[in-house]
Amino acid sequence: MPRAAPRPLGGICRREGAEGGRQPGLSRSRGCPGSSRAGLRSGERGSTTDRARTAPALLPAPAGAAAGSAGHRAAPARSSRWLSPGLGGGSRRPFVLRPGRGERASLRGGAASRVRGARPSPGGGPGRRRACAAASLRPPPGSSRQPGRGRGSAGPGWPGSFGSALGRSRPHGPGGAGEGLPADLHSNAKTLFLLQKKSDVYSVEIYGTKDIEKTEMGDKEEKYKDLKGNKKKKKTEDLKKELDLDDHQLSPSDLEKKYGTNISKGLSSARAAEILARDGPNALTPPKATPEIIKFLKQMVGGFSILLWIGAVCSWISFGIQFAQGAESPFDNLYLGVVLALVVILTGIFAYYQEAKSTNIMASFSKMIPQQALVIRDAEKKELPADKLVVGDIVEIKGGDRIPADIRLISAQGCKVDNSSLTGESEPQSRSCDFTHENPLETKNIAFYSTTCVEGTATGIVINTGDRTIIGRIASLASRVGNEKTPIAIEIEHFVYLVAGVAVSIGVLFFIISISLRYKILDSIIFLIGIIVANVPEGLLATVTVSLSLTAKRMAKKNCLVKNLEAVETLGSTSIICSDKTGTLTQNRMTVAHLWFDNQIYSADTSEDQTTQPFDQSSPSWTALSKIVTLCNRAEFAPGQENLPIMKRVVVGDASETALLKFAEVILGDVMNIRARNKKVAEIPFNSTNKFQLSIHETEDTNDKRFLLVMKGAPERILERCSTIMINGKEEPLDSEKAEAFQTAYMELGGMGERVLGFCHLYLPENEFPDTYPFDTDSMNFPTSNLCFVGLLSMIDPPRSTVPDAVSKCRSAGIKVIMVTGDHPITAKAIAKSVGIISATSETVEDIAKRLNIPVEQVNRREATAAVVNGMELKDMSSQQLDEILCNHSEIVFARTSPQQKLIIVEGCQRQGAVVAVTGDGVNDSPALKKADIGIAMGIAGSDAAKNAADMVLLDDNFASIVTGVEEGRLIFDNLKKTIAYTLTKNIAELCPFLIYIIASIPLPIGTITILFIDLGTDIIPSVALAYEKAESDIMNRRPRNKRKDRLVNEQLAVYSYLHIGIMQSVGAFVTYFTVYAEQGFLPSTLLGVRIKWEDSNINDFEDSYGQEWTKYQRLYLQWTGYTAFFVSITIQQVADLIIRKTRRNSIFQQGLFRNKVIWVGIFSQIGIALILTYGLGHVTALNFTPLRFQYWFVAVPFAVLIWVYDEVRKLFIRRYPGSWWDKNMYY
Amino acid sequence: MSKEAKKPFRQSMAEWRQFVYNPNSGEFLGRTAKSWGLIFLFYLVFYGFLAALFTFTMWVMLQTLSSDIPKYRDRISSPGLMISPKPDSALEFSFNRSDAQSYAEYVSTLRKFLESYDDSKQSQNINCTPGRIFDQNDVAVKKACRFNLSELGQCSGKEDKTFGYSKGTPCVLVKMNRIIGLKPEGEPHIQCASKEEGRVEINYFPPEGLIDLMYFPYYGKSLHAHYLQPLVAVQLAINSNSTKEEIAIECKILGSPNLKNEDDRDKFLGRIAFKVQMTE
Repeated sequence: MPRAAPRPLGGICRREGAEGGRQPGLSRSRGCPGSSRAGLRSGERGSTTDRARTAPALLPAPAGAAAGSAGHRAAPARSSRWLSPGLGGGSRRPFVLRPGRGERASLRGGAASRVRGARPSPGGGPGRRRACAAASLRPPPGSSRQPGRGRGSAGPGWPGSFGSALGRSRPHGPGGAGEGLPADLHSNAKTLFLLQKKSDVYSVEIYGTKDIEKTEMGDKEEKYKDLKGNKKKKKTEDLKKELDLDDHQLSPSDLEKKYGTNISKGLSSARAAEILARDGPNALTPPKATPEIIKFLKQMVGGFSILLWIGAVCSWISFGIQFAQGAESPFDNLYLGVVLALVVILTGIFAYYQEAKSTNIMASFSKMIPQQALVIRDAEKKELPADKLVVGDIVEIKGGDRIPADIRLISAQGCKVDNSSLTGESEPQSRSCDFTHENPLETKNIAFYSTTCVEGTATGIVINTGDRTIIGRIASLASRVGNEKTPIAIEIEHFVYLVAGVAVSIGVLFFIISISLRYKILDSIIFLIGIIVANVPEGLLATVTVSLSLTAKRMAKKNCLVKNLEAVETLGSTSIICSDKTGTLTQNRMTVAHLWFDNQIYSADTSEDQTTQPFDQSSPSWTALSKIVTLCNRAEFAPGQENLPIMKRVVVGDASETALLKFAEVILGDVMNIRARNKKVAEIPFNSTNKFQLSIHETEDTNDKRFLLVMKGAPERILERCSTIMINGKEEPLDSEKAEAFQTAYMELGGMGERVLGFCHLYLPENEFPDTYPFDTDSMNFPTSNLCFVGLLSMIDPPRSTVPDAVSKCRSAGIKVIMVTGDHPITAKAIAKSVGIISATSETVEDIAKRLNIPVEQVNRREATAAVVNGMELKDMSSQQLDEILCNHSEIVFARTSPQQKLIIVEGCQRQGAVVAVTGDGVNDSPALKKADIGIAMGIAGSDAAKNAADMVLLDDNFASIVTGVEEGRLIFDNLKKTIAYTLTKNIAELCPFLIYIIASIPLPIGTITILFIDLGTDIIPSVALAYEKAESDIMNRRPRNKRKDRLVNEQLAVYSYLHIGIMQSVGAFVTYFTVYAEQGFLPSTLLGVRIKWEDSNINDFEDSYGQEWTKYQRLYLQWTGYTAFFVSITIQQVADLIIRKTRRNSIFQQGLFRNKVIWVGIFSQIGIALILTYGLGHVTALNFTPLRFQYWFVAVPFAVLIWVYDEVRKLFIRRYPGSWWDKNMYY
Repeated sequence: MSKEAKKPFRQSMAEWRQFVYNPNSGEFLGRTAKSWGLIFLFYLVFYGFLAALFTFTMWVMLQTLSSDIPKYRDRISSPGLMISPKPDSALEFSFNRSDAQSYAEYVSTLRKFLESYDDSKQSQNINCTPGRIFDQNDVAVKKACRFNLSELGQCSGKEDKTFGYSKGTPCVLVKMNRIIGLKPEGEPHIQCASKEEGRVEINYFPPEGLIDLMYFPYYGKSLHAHYLQPLVAVQLAINSNSTKEEIAIECKILGSPNLKNEDDRDKFLGRIAFKVQMTE
């Protein structure tokens, strides 16, 4: 069996390793990115909606092309050609599964007139170029010759490579083939790295075939074989073995033999239990999660925890020393150490709990309703939970079921499956028991786990279960993409470094100072603890978490469900949104948009909640048209929805008919009743050959015995069958002038990207077609030509009404909205125009060319602000070209793109330094969702895989919700700034006492425990309250945050908090401190330099300024009173600090002092906690609080007022003199 | 590898140098000279203002205080006891009665302490009525009561210049902390006891360790400049067979209901414990 994939191109690998530091944690360090990230993750069936995207989800490399063992991944994409079907062509679907061999390129996925297949790229092993990463799962030489069963003469039975082929379709790859390093790999290491990085992350490769070139590569590969971890090899090996699927080629009886089962009786329960024990349950193994304990420990040492641990250890050391020396009260330090440890552990537990909570939200996504399967066992039909299925079980499926495992069908009746979750292909595929293709993915007699049976019934043998199913294999390979750190995580890390840096440097500095001031080492250690504790905002990280989760909750209310807390802010810094069209920008339902009759185009209301249609309905032509619309329609409302608004009702029927039905229902009322009154006598349903639908009805007019023949279909086909046209209710001959008018209207409607239908009718003469006339739809014994053309109706999936507003909001917020759709460019452009993604005034290159009547090549591309890029163009583009497009055009629409290309687009945007948000719903979107800075999955249409990969789920699938999310994200960034500024300020007021204590040897003004009470007691609620602060101005009117420049904690913030407000607070607190001491008899002059005597427990006659003598305990108690006074002063001034932090630029009075009620909750809680600590717990010695004279609460009030005034002045100057020195230095 | 690693280092060095001084823009540590000047000026003004404000508020606060008595005296409602001489380390006396050097420090401390009690220094002090609180609230100039050294008897240092240390009967002076306005009730007296019975015999000077009420109340350093606090000398006659052993002695103030001596937390409130170890 093939062993691991050695790295063919060691040089690249190494390079990659060196440069790959950007994504630590990936397996990169092990050399070649073995960690093949699957593009596809396990998932449910994808959106049932228009997943019109070309989606080579599983893109087997053409054997010939992919032979280059190093480059499987590169090969398929490069060599594939997806040609768009012509306009109006039925399917926009891409091919999805490519056969193993180019020559065998079977077309799949609908009637696409698409040429695809492998075109071997120049240079032989095309894939070789992208070498390294691609090779991850490649079997090593020599061992690569598998005894493939299904391979035989037919060649690779299983696709040569089974990969998502993501991002590899850039033609940009180096040209030189062969095993050596292509020349420009060297010269372009950076690009290569990018490519590799991406491929590393997203490729899934399962090799099941013998590659021709592999043999040639053999020797070379041998050399690298040992570089690779063995584990990976094993896995690859296993995968390969299992992919050797030939069950589709076997006859039912062979299958019976192979699986030891009986088609009519099924397995025996005993045998099934045996197999179940062997194979395990039929369920996907959840991705291996980090062990809980590791997560927990990470919380324990992350952030400031390590500093606090140092503090705790220092405390214990000094306790040990003091204890050994037999000092009087060594236990203080023991307790302090314990308290510090507790603080770390508690905040750690809190953070862990928060994380677990958000992980749980995530877990809930993947939870599905336990699935049942109908199994034949012991010759009986049984309902079993799907996870109890084993290989060899005979299962029955019917329309609506989810396929419970990989199944080889042995009988099928009209069975169709929706493979969209696996392949992105949304057209249902028919399934039969015939072996139609060697490729198991192509053959019709295999149905795959997690796909859905759309209609019909089938019976089959389970051939793979659980992780061994196709989707399971993809899922198990799809180890998690190492997400890059979220912007806010980076910011917080930056902030932690900053504060820790300040703490450590001040700590060390004063350690040295105190040593040189001849303090004892022990004392110096104690000072160090104090400095650390004072400097570290212990409660801040918890506060940030709480603030983020509050915002997350708020966003959930607005239909943005955030899975990853930090994504809340990421959304705020988004600078590009790549949005899907269908369902996100549009309503995801066809709606009649325009009508054409009487030579005139009418617009219809396409809003979500229409109840009437405003256009002129007086013309008799409309009456005729409405009759056709009503009658020539097979769609029906599902029963029991009479009370629902029409637009919300569920309809049985296809999208266009549904649109027509609802349209008719809105205008005419009870359609079903009208149909009942006009009884249908014959009908020809729509088919792709005729391209029309026809029905014949009795008329409701009892006097009129004529039959009415109604017909609708492709307009040009309908027109062909007409000889007259109805104008204002009168039939007029269809002359060339009228035909011209029709053409114009048709073109116009089609040009709006709408799906146009033509309608005509004919009253059959009574004499020829009497009551009893036997209509025969097969022989068509009735006229189908010389009909009367009545009108056109055009339909579109209209934009959601909230979207244009949201798009313009994005625009003013400096966010570029890019539409990425699988739809036709014309439709895409029309929708883009109607929602404002392409603004009314901007033109594409093509538009300019048309306007100026010059060839496209002559147009100055810079003039065009908009661009509509076709997926096919994109495929042939180099990344530079893509960059150019992304740079030069502000309004971009990507049409006919595949999910893979979405990834390329995302990466292109990220190369511009943008923070990219991407929406997606299909399984195939997951790589793009993962790659994006913020992946947004659709809550309604989204597949579970997409939801899993995303950071956020849009519950209503509405683009406007994203914009709301952006607003919230920006707000939280601002508010976190305020929170941090608030929290940092008092650290100086906590730190200064220590510094002065060391330098001036005064009695310690504030104790370590007291500091903890501020950080974790009084300050917590106020700092959370800042998260509720409203935005200062319209935050949607400024540019997105530049992640390199606009830091969360910038120099100005730190300086202003530390050196301005912090120092003012310290001054205020010191005044209180000196007041307390002076009023008790120790004038400030007496206090200087007394530290040693003051703290000497043998000196019990310490003389104060008035000649009184104090025992040690009396002094200590006074010292605690000092702590309390200092604490109270900081608290009081923090109230002012809290108020000034409400705004950064505006006056508090502009913002409204009382608008944020939570701030007041914070203020009252702050004061309340201080009161409780001072008076309630003032007698608990261990807490070092004492009851305080009431007036000392007010000593700092003038300073608090000063802080407020000072900050108002600061803000005034900032507003008054924007851009000035003051503004630059004072605005944080 | 090393090549790649070196480059960023050199680059970062260059960037660092650029940051320290950028010759193009004349920026030093990221700011131009003008900017630094403004910053310096700003902080000079800002901190100057804060310093002035601090000084001013402190001055205002100090103006509210009387120079005679502190505003509040609630933190020292009851006095602590202290001894003299006070050994350097913990309150543990350790000396060799035959080695003058070993107790020289104690003797000199005592002598120094008693200097202010010398008759020559007490010329302005008046003789007060024993046993009565000497209230002088109405008098502007507070008089100090005379404390006669002779009351300390053998511990006065007059007869025995070594305060008994050479004889194995060391003297320790016990004093009560000065507290402004404190008026002891009842008959306060010092009583000492050794935990170990029979090792030491304790004599008090004045007899029974009495502290006379006439020395109270105290009016504070500025009003009551010549005030001398009453002393009680405790003479420890250590049994000759108890030498070399550590003798723990605790002295308490008794006989006055408003002088606490049993506080849980404050081990020196109205009491004091010390140890004596004498060798021969």
